Amino acid sequence: MAAEDESMVHALREKAAISGIGETAYTRGTTQSGLALQLEASLRAIDDAGLSPRDIDGVVPYFPGGGIAEDFIANLGLPDLALSAFIPMGGATCVAALQTAAMAVATGVCRNVLISVGRTGYSGARVSTRLQQFPQFALAAEFEAPIGMFAPAQLYAQGARRHMELYGTTTRHFAEVAVVTRQHAILNGNVVMNKPLTVEEHHASRMIADPFRLFDCSLESDGGAAVIVSASDRARDLKKPLVTIMGVAEGHPESPASIAQRPDLLEFGLAKAAPRAFGMAGVAPKEIDVAEIYDCFTFTVINQLELLGFCKKGEGGPFVMDGRIALGGDLPINTHGGLLSQGHVVGLNHVIELTRQLRRDAGKAQVKDAEVGLVTGYGDMGDGSVAILRRAA
Amino acid sequence: MSTAPTSTPPAPERPLPTPTRESQPYWDGLREGRLILQHCAKCEKARHYPRPICPHCFSMESTWREAPLAGRIHSWTVCHHPFNFFFKSMAPYVVALVDMEAGVRVNAPLRGMAEGTLKIGAPVRLAFEPVTKDVTLPYFVAA
Ligand SMILES: [Zn+2]
Repeated sequence: MAAEDESMVHALREKAAISGIGETAYTRGTTQSGLALQLEASLRAIDDAGLSPRDIDGVVPYFPGGGIAEDFIANLGLPDLALSAFIPMGGATCVAALQTAAMAVATGVCRNVLISVGRTGYSGARVSTRLQQFPQFALAAEFEAPIGMFAPAQLYAQGARRHMELYGTTTRHFAEVAVVTRQHAILNGNVVMNKPLTVEEHHASRMIADPFRLFDCSLESDGGAAVIVSASDRARDLKKPLVTIMGVAEGHPESPASIAQRPDLLEFGLAKAAPRAFGMAGVAPKEIDVAEIYDCFTFTVINQLELLGFCKKGEGGPFVMDGRIALGGDLPINTHGGLLSQGHVVGLNHVIELTRQLRRDAGKAQVKDAEVGLVTGYGDMGDGSVAILRRAA
Repeated sequence: MSTAPTSTPPAPERPLPTPTRESQPYWDGLREGRLILQHCAKCEKARHYPRPICPHCFSMESTWREAPLAGRIHSWTVCHHPFNFFFKSMAPYVVALVDMEAGVRVNAPLRGMAEGTLKIGAPVRLAFEPVTKDVTLPYFVAA
């Protein structure tokens, strides 16, 4: 039974590729709608792939917020849409969507699947309003909002505090993630935060939900991003170097709708997804050249590095120190500036950056000779997703 | 509803729970000053938050039993930024996640303990605060 399952999963290895990437400017303040931003990024991704909008036959838009299949048909004139899917996994959606898209193109259901996000997180609805759109947050609304716990910053803070108490992790470790991510952002021309950040400035920023300060939290920003997934054998003929999906998986934690009731606050969906994705890809963590880690909070990066197996449980704090996660270090992460400094398009910018890295098209932030990279998604109270991509050119 | 800044902010309203068919007995219990938890009628395990089926034995039969008010701190946060305007005047406030003796967790404000004294495993006790005629909310105090 187990062997059968394994062979089925491996049947997907490298059958799908990222054929196109596109993004708008990341800003704070736009007059465009989320849908317009999403469509603009989609056109850029389609062009990047060397395709026409007519070639898109599958859409997996971020939901809720932004466009739905009807919008893509109406705006892009899609002649024969064969797949319309939502992945309701919050911040884990975009990378999990790579799995759905890979299944669709590997089986021949679709040829080219468009994954896209359009967000007006700064100029439109803010976080506390957006959360009310999620049915997955019904338990939090009933049991946690009345006692003053609303926002992800508050709900995840208790896990971060527990990690600090159990393992001696400190806000200095958190600051390192924020500072390195900002250094990387400054190398990228399209970011919201383009001024250097020091450890002292991080420590002096206002407290949001202890232990999280302002600079531990991701940005509220406006922007759109899009990615096209195509069958690898077809994508070979497209414009850009081929970047294949070696391994991809999503994972769902125990007590998925309430962190409070989860047996281990520090074990979430990624703990289940990571072994499956590494197994499917046939690589080990030490073979990863560059990683784009979903950074809704600085601590979340530390926690995920542990669950991915880059270090042992409890050792994520010391792991991020001494330049290890900076460009030139053993494991450069968030080479574009992430959600902390580039912009918040629910992590689709992480997929785009990893694709650029593997195309060797990442400009000043290029990781030399990057061959294999990893990208994660994290959200919705602890859903996780991870993809391992390879330069197959 | 937009949360964009306006010159006349709406009057702050406390977010209140909307009990469901599954959860009503829990809220009724709080209103009576008791912690009433859902237990599986077949395998007897307590479960929280309330739901129709026991995930251990899949029984749909459940009973509601009074549980002890004692617990120990599992973790906590101190909320400084009021994501909801109602809590602005209360900030900063501590919210403790507590392992209750019955084997479930309760997340609630912790009052009367200084931030510097908080520790995993510290004993606390559940207390009750009526906030409307129908709704009583839980909070913790030092045991
Ligand atoms: Zn049972």
